[in-house]
Formats: sequence, structure tokens, C-alpha cells
Amino acid sequence: MKIGTETINPTKIICIGTNYMDHIEETGLDVPREPVLFPKTLNCLISNNDPIIYPKFLYNQRKYNRVDYEVELAFIVKDKCKHIPKNEAYNHILGYTVFNDVTARKMQAKDIVSKLPWFRSKSFDTFGPIGPRIVDTDEIKDPHNLNINLKLNGEIKQSSNTKHLLFKIPELLEYISTILTLEPGDIIATGTPSGIGPMQPGDLIEATIEKIGTLVNNVVMEGE
Amino acid sequence: MKAQVPKNPIFFVKTVNTLVADGDPIIYPKILYNNQDYNQVDHEVELAFIISQNCKNIQAEHGYEYIEGYTIFLDITARKMQISDRNINLPWYRSKNFDSFGPIGPRIVNFNGIEDPHNLNIQLKINGEIRQQSNTKHMIFKIPEILEYLSKFITLSPGDIVATGTPSGVGPIQPEDIIEASIEKIGTITHKVILEE
Repeated sequence: MKIGTETINPTKIICIGTNYMDHIEETGLDVPREPVLFPKTLNCLISNNDPIIYPKFLYNQRKYNRVDYEVELAFIVKDKCKHIPKNEAYNHILGYTVFNDVTARKMQAKDIVSKLPWFRSKSFDTFGPIGPRIVDTDEIKDPHNLNINLKLNGEIKQSSNTKHLLFKIPELLEYISTILTLEPGDIIATGTPSGIGPMQPGDLIEATIEKIGTLVNNVVMEGE
Repeated sequence: MKAQVPKNPIFFVKTVNTLVADGDPIIYPKILYNNQDYNQVDHEVELAFIISQNCKNIQAEHGYEYIEGYTIFLDITARKMQISDRNINLPWYRSKNFDSFGPIGPRIVNFNGIEDPHNLNIQLKINGEIRQQSNTKHMIFKIPEILEYLSKFITLSPGDIVATGTPSGVGPIQPEDIIEASIEKIGTITHKVILEE
């Protein structure tokens, strides 16, 4: 897929759960001792300005009718790598972008209490907007000091700074690469700050990270 | 393992880094082997089907039109890690997705070659001894229902792999074990377990 002027061919998307202290407090989840990893499948990826499709299947069921935004800093893997020590991590990063980890919140909450996987609530088509561009590691020397915010219809809903990340990018890359081989283009989303909340068909979502830009997507009802 | 009978199919993800072919080794990760909290890696033999074309919102009665064929899949799982993650309501991802935790093969049998995928003997041997033995007729959710449900959520693409679940008898594998997973009309995949260097 194209992100700005760059073309990437990711083989996987790995997201980090509960990685901002303020978000951990709002969810009531425990502070993790190790990074919490979950996948999103590639069918969820869309570009800047593409619509986020609100699935009818969720909209029409009271027990599932909540779909949330979650703005996140994502990094793109540069080369095939495994067992990377954190002091070498930046050598394996192509750059940074904005990711919106759209989540069927009621479905996820229900699956979590039943101790089920988080897959279905996270991976509906279009639940992974990404962009508007990839900024390379020369341009962003310190990815842990970037303002990050999300606006819903012009109103700020999430506002934080990447300095509040619990596990920093080098630690994340070290940890993930002890488990699995990363490939060029793979996307790692580093977690969302507090302020998560629901979106409705017709809403306009603007997710912004300092030095990267703004990812804009509107929400449309499936089939309309 | 005690789990409730699910109302809907339960899906989780294995990423493509797990895939290895018939004859390739299954690598037992050192970080599991050397950690008493995590040192159990289990075999799970499964019937898998391969998607033939892009599809979304498929009705069960049309399910077979979107299937390329069938193969054998081994859902290798770091069991203690999975249980420990599940106990604290965490995702199932890491325990399922170490490199080489997804052996697949030895061939894809075209869907025409297997008239009824729900009547196939399925078994797994470790070092020649049978550990799992069942028949795909015991699957709770049949393939067309699985495809209908899954395609409500996501668009499936040609080559996507859907593994249909494992029968009873799951248990641990150890470095040096030889794993043979067989499904009637498909064949056998054979893998040696080796400790990560």
C-alpha cells in the first residue's frame, strides 16, 4: 500500500495494548510487566481520506453498537529482523506514521471478560487507517517527545505526548523480535493515550502527531 | 483444557511468520524452554481450508464456492504462556505466533477432491505414538458456517488460511520429537522439533 510517497508491503500489524499510563487508568486494566501484543489483520488498512466503514452488524445490535477511535504512533520496520537488542533498534526502523486502532469496544469488552481473543473486535475491514506519510528516522530523532491528539468533528478528544509511552520503541522492538521475525513494511502501533470514545456514521476523525501530520477519515455506515 | 461450548466461532490470529512447510523443523524458542513459567509447547492438529477469491459477507450455502482446497495445519501453541495470558484477560497473540509455530502441508487437495470435509479421520503422532485421533465430523461449527461468520468481519483474500480447530489430545512436544500430523485424503506432514540455538 501507498503511505504518502512511500510504498510498503506489510506482512503483519502488531499493536501494543495499554501502553500509556493515562489510558491504563481509564480502562482499569493492570499495568503490564511486559508489552501486551495483539494483531490486526491487513484487511483493516486504509489510507488518509478513505472512509471508516461502520459495520451494520455492529450498528444494529445493542450489545455491540460502539466503535471507538484510538490514535497511535506507529513505526514501520525497515528490514527482516529477529532478536534485535534495543540499542540497535533504530537501525531497523524505516520511519513513523499515524495509526488509528479502530475498535468495536463493546465487543472487545465482552470478549475480554470471557477471556477470548481480541481479534474480531479489532479487525473489521477499514479498522486500521494509516498515514498521511512516513517520516523517516533522520527527521524524527526522538519519537518519544511528540504531541499526539485526535479530534472528533473538530473537538479534541485525545491529547497526550509520546513521552508517556510505558514501553518505548526500542524496548518494543527488542521484545517483539524475541518472539517473531519482523519483515520490511511490518507495522507496529505503539498504543493509545486516554480519551478513547465512540464514533458515529457521519463523524469526521482527525488524528495528528507532531512532525508527521494529520490522518483524516470520515465514518460512513456500511452499505451507504 | 476446559472451555465452554461457544455460541459463535472463536477466531484468533496467527501471523505469516509462523508458516513452515512439510519437513521443516519446528523451532522450540529458548525463551520458553529456559523459563519454568512458560516451558510447555503443545501440538494441535487441524484441518485448514484455503480461500480462492476475495470475499465478504458470504452466506453459508455458498461457502464452498470460495474455497480453493484443504490442507493440514499444526497450531503450535506455547500453552503455559497462553493460559497465563488468558487468566489475566490478555490477548492470545504471543503464545501462538513464535516463528515456525504454523506448519502447513503437505499439499492442497482441491475442494472437488474432497466431497465432504466433515468426514475425515484426523490424527497426530509423536515419535510414532498416536496422541490425537478424531474425525472432522465432530467439528462444532462446520466450514460453511465458519466462512459465513468470519466473512461478516473481514474481507478474505486468495490464499488466506483458515484453520478449523483441534480435537482432544493436545499435549506437549519436546526438542528432538518427530511430529506426524495426518488427515485422511490429504496426507501427512512431518516435523522435527529442535531447540532454538
